[in-house]
Amino acid sequence: MATQPSDSTEFPSEIIQKSLALIGLSGLDTVNNAIHKAIWDAFSNNRRPDRASVKFKLLNNTFEYPVVKPKRNSYEWYIPKGILKKNWIHKRISLIPAVIVIFYDMEWNDPQCNEKIIECASRVQSIRAAVEGHATRVAVVIVQSGLSPPPSEYMLGAERAQTLCSACDIQSKSLFVLPHSDHLMGYIIRLENDFYHIAQNYYHHETKNIKQHRDHLNKTTHQYLFVRHQFKLGFLNEMKQDFSTAHKHYMHAYNNLLETRQVDTNIHEIRTVAGYVNYKLCKLLFALNLPRDAIAQLKNHIERYKNRIGPTELLFEHYAWIARQYSAFGELFDEAIRAGLPAIQSQHPGFYYQYAAQFTVKRRQAMRSVCCEALQYPPPPDPMEGIVEYYGQRPWRPGRLSADPHDPQKEHAAVLALQYNERTFNHSSIIISFLGCAISQFKTFHSPRMRKQLVVEMANEYYYCADYGKALTLLTHMLWDYRREKWWFLASHVLNRALQCAYLSAKIQDYIQLSVEALSKDIQVPNNDKSRIFHNIMAVLSCAIPAQEPDIPATSLGKALELWQNVIEKDPFLISIDMVNISSFLEIKAKFQQSKYRIDEAIQVEVYVRLTYKVFLQIKEAILTISSNTETIEIPITKDGSSKFSLEDGTVYKFLCQFKSIPKDSGSELHIKNVSFILDADKKRKIVMNYKIEENKLANSFIHPELLHFINSPKTDYEFDCILPLTSTVIVSRECRLSMTIVNNVPALQGEWFPTTFTITNDEDCPVSRVIITLTLISSPDNPSPESVTELSLKEGEPQTQPLKIQVAQVDKLCSYSDTFYLKTNKTASTTVQIKVSYLIQLNETQTLECIKDFTTKVTIIKPFEVTANFLDLNFKQITKCFVEDPFIVIPQIKILSQWPLQVYDTNLEVVDCFQTFDSETESCIKKLDVSERDVASDAICVQAKYKPKEALPRIGLYNIKWKRKDSVEALCVMSSTPIPALTIDDCPISVEVSYPEVVELQTSVPFTCILRGKTNIPIRLGLTVEGTDSYMFSGYKKFSITIPPNESIELSYNIHPLVAGNTRPPRLKATILGDSFRQEVVTEIFEKNFPQYIFVMPKYNK
Amino acid sequence: MAVCVAVIGKDNSPLYIGGIGTDSSTDNELSRQWLVHTALDALEERLVSSNTNAGNAPANAARTDLRDLYLGLLYSTDTHKIYGYVTNTRIKLVLVTSSTSPSGSNIRDAEVRTALRRLHALYADAICNPFHLPGDQITSSKFDKQVKNLMLNNV
Repeated sequence: MATQPSDSTEFPSEIIQKSLALIGLSGLDTVNNAIHKAIWDAFSNNRRPDRASVKFKLLNNTFEYPVVKPKRNSYEWYIPKGILKKNWIHKRISLIPAVIVIFYDMEWNDPQCNEKIIECASRVQSIRAAVEGHATRVAVVIVQSGLSPPPSEYMLGAERAQTLCSACDIQSKSLFVLPHSDHLMGYIIRLENDFYHIAQNYYHHETKNIKQHRDHLNKTTHQYLFVRHQFKLGFLNEMKQDFSTAHKHYMHAYNNLLETRQVDTNIHEIRTVAGYVNYKLCKLLFALNLPRDAIAQLKNHIERYKNRIGPTELLFEHYAWIARQYSAFGELFDEAIRAGLPAIQSQHPGFYYQYAAQFTVKRRQAMRSVCCEALQYPPPPDPMEGIVEYYGQRPWRPGRLSADPHDPQKEHAAVLALQYNERTFNHSSIIISFLGCAISQFKTFHSPRMRKQLVVEMANEYYYCADYGKALTLLTHMLWDYRREKWWFLASHVLNRALQCAYLSAKIQDYIQLSVEALSKDIQVPNNDKSRIFHNIMAVLSCAIPAQEPDIPATSLGKALELWQNVIEKDPFLISIDMVNISSFLEIKAKFQQSKYRIDEAIQVEVYVRLTYKVFLQIKEAILTISSNTETIEIPITKDGSSKFSLEDGTVYKFLCQFKSIPKDSGSELHIKNVSFILDADKKRKIVMNYKIEENKLANSFIHPELLHFINSPKTDYEFDCILPLTSTVIVSRECRLSMTIVNNVPALQGEWFPTTFTITNDEDCPVSRVIITLTLISSPDNPSPESVTELSLKEGEPQTQPLKIQVAQVDKLCSYSDTFYLKTNKTASTTVQIKVSYLIQLNETQTLECIKDFTTKVTIIKPFEVTANFLDLNFKQITKCFVEDPFIVIPQIKILSQWPLQVYDTNLEVVDCFQTFDSETESCIKKLDVSERDVASDAICVQAKYKPKEALPRIGLYNIKWKRKDSVEALCVMSSTPIPALTIDDCPISVEVSYPEVVELQTSVPFTCILRGKTNIPIRLGLTVEGTDSYMFSGYKKFSITIPPNESIELSYNIHPLVAGNTRPPRLKATILGDSFRQEVVTEIFEKNFPQYIFVMPKYNK
Repeated sequence: MAVCVAVIGKDNSPLYIGGIGTDSSTDNELSRQWLVHTALDALEERLVSSNTNAGNAPANAARTDLRDLYLGLLYSTDTHKIYGYVTNTRIKLVLVTSSTSPSGSNIRDAEVRTALRRLHALYADAICNPFHLPGDQITSSKFDKQVKNLMLNNV
């Protein structure tokens, strides 16, 4: 719970405490008996909320119960002296137990059981006697070891228990047995609940008693008793934990109290009691989870009592009382939230603490207006002495009900005493603590601005109680936020107060910083007296005490001057102010003139300065700080060569700073980090105004300068506002003055080592040294990874690892260096080669600079030729398939695509396994052949299939061509290989060899043989027919069948006799396989293929 | 009706604060500014909650556009009631009524809504001035007069 500040209005602890049923435990010797100690601890310790709402009290033998007042039969002559007796609640919560439990050690089978029963009964009797008159219930707990079974299952036990009950005169349900051996806690909790039920019973009985009184009361004289009885009913019900009934009775009490006649003498009592009842009501409403009703109750309560202010000379008491109502409610609310009640931004305890603070402020105001005369405590006798029996009554007239003061003198002294006490009361501390509570609540419930306002109020409170240091700390923190959101009016208010605090606590750093900010055009100062502030800055600079701030409390002035005297000539001598975070009278913008500088150029920074406060400002020194990756340098800002200059408002000053970059910074960025202006009055003290420049901040405050054209502002302002700061620049390396020429015969041909010659010429004004040339292949969209298909080398035919590096010692002025590199690629795409030249140069300056330049050259690669292949049989007919061991001719045709003439040096066909060349000795027919563009060179190789492969072949073999450019004599030959596409291979059970003449003469018989050879391991039977034609006569078998033995041949001989001249179709043999029909097709095909289609027949000339 | 009217920029800086007070001393102006400034807490809370509701379902984006600009009563103190209104460009309009005066305490919600809509229109007119720099405080005397009129007329 938040600790609440205390004053006379504080609620007594018995009101605040949770009301719990009181249960007395007797007969436990916790000092000497370990078992008893354990039992007591189990009852009293670790009371979690889930346990019964009871309070245990250990009663010893000497405990004295309150004496019962004699019962009143009639209230007729009774006039109550007050509303609520102070001791009643105390009696109820700690003196009169609802139940007294007597603990007694006894085993059922104890041999001296009867004696023990008698002893126990006597104890019960003595307790009964002690509480004589009270309706307090009595219960007995027999503490046992737990070894004997419970009385219900144990005849002896049941019997003895019965005896005990009758001996003690208690009901059997008020007798309990507590075995202490194990599960003690479980037994204790069960006992506790039973006790709680008995207690509830007791309280219920008590309320009945009180209700009976009501009939005797009358409204005229017993109004107080109506309140008192209802309050008691409410309280007893609360102890019984019957909250809704309790609330009902409290509500009656509250309403009865409202009806009570109120005069100046009893206002304090009524108010006090109303406050307590209201507190109880709200607490119960929160407990019943009716927070809205609780809030409404408080509102009505305040509304009703707001105007019951009582005597005006004690007005402050009224406000103190209201403040207490609010703060107590805030606490209740806070507690409820902690117990799980949700709260929202617009309804949370913070508001009530805030109200409490506000009313405490009013209380102070009332005190100031009414307590002026109470300069000292009244002389004895002290009117505040005296015992008060009732809540809210005055000690100097206890129990008096009459409206008129019976002793005016005493009354006067008492008022004086109260006023004097109020005068000496520290209101600020109580306000601060209320505000502190409120601030933490507002922070919890997402109200940062409300919180800020309260913090400022808190700071004001610290200011009033002269704790300037704390006030200053709070204010400077708050100033930040108001400045950020540009609430300048509020910022001004905060700043002025902070400035007063800084002055009064003589904190030089804060004082100067706040003064500098006070000169800003956004800040308003009291009386618009900025020149005083400026003079104060100058005074501090020259180690003199500044003039005082206006409206500061006179009492603190002397102390402040003393403080200033102590610090003015001491540290801090160097006051640095972070100007970017505050609004100030001196504005700075800095920019690089260019966003990119070469390393040999001078870098120029423009610094613009505008003074917005009308003054003539002397600047002792100004420094620009630039940082790079490697170092941070400081450059003095000068005006006409002098570091000391003065500024005047109305003009925008432009300063130009120049410096050179160092070679290490090449390629990195430079940033403007800081601009500092230093004020110095030639005393020990300096004020450094730092403008730290952060790039991310600049983007935020950016206004489009175009818009500023329209604004009616001084021209200088326009100039300044239009400047866009540029706080970073890139240093690039020096421009390189080397040139390069490249000589090569593009396009390059695929596969060749293509030479390129480059020449670097030094166009610098002086020699360059340590020239390093690096050759790299660069990827391009059509050639993404060139290094995988292309090789670079400085020597023809020998690939080298990329990149290639050439180191050249020195190239003199106007001289050149040239070299050749070779490039070989298998991809027909363009290849880009980067030639990067880096070198060192020493110019006029002492520093050696490194220069780098990239050149690129692009080489297009084309195919030198294209190879296609045709297949012919030995009759020079186009074929699409061949048979095993049946030779055919491959005709590769080389179509030249290169624009450069080529020489074909040699060619050969590398066949795959299942083929072999038919000729034993092969020499290319196009060896050493010169060709040029669009020529086609044809080669011919006779090839024979050896067997039929299991799978279809992709190709017959590789056709290798060795070639080179015709004009480059020394160049190496390039070997290009082209795959020759495959031809289907088939096998046939027989082979057919036909011998017939190419040319015959008319009318001349010629022989014609056909050899059939078996190719399988089994004999093949063929049916043969001769298909004759009209052009021929022939002799031999026309239709017959033969058997071809395995691997042997059969020769068939015919004579043919041509009848007509010209291209004639000779007779042909046709075969059908007898039996195995699936080879038929192949056999037909091989016969078709081997028999000539035509034979040319020469006419016969008669000579 | 209204005792104070404020226009607050999207960065929460005050663009205009006008009040009808019996006295124009610093204290009155100060309390007025505190009142408006703290009202921003409630305003921002409303905006955040309405945004998160819409953020859950992007399909409801169109609905957020059609969100009522008038936010209603932001909060009330013992002495004042504070109403809020947020334009689509996040300009916040705040209207403060006095709950102590009879005209202020019995004001109807619809009246406040109308008044704030009119204020929105006046604001739009004021910033249409090409000589006005967006984001700067509104210094137009015509605007000031119109706003003061608005505050009085609605009594």
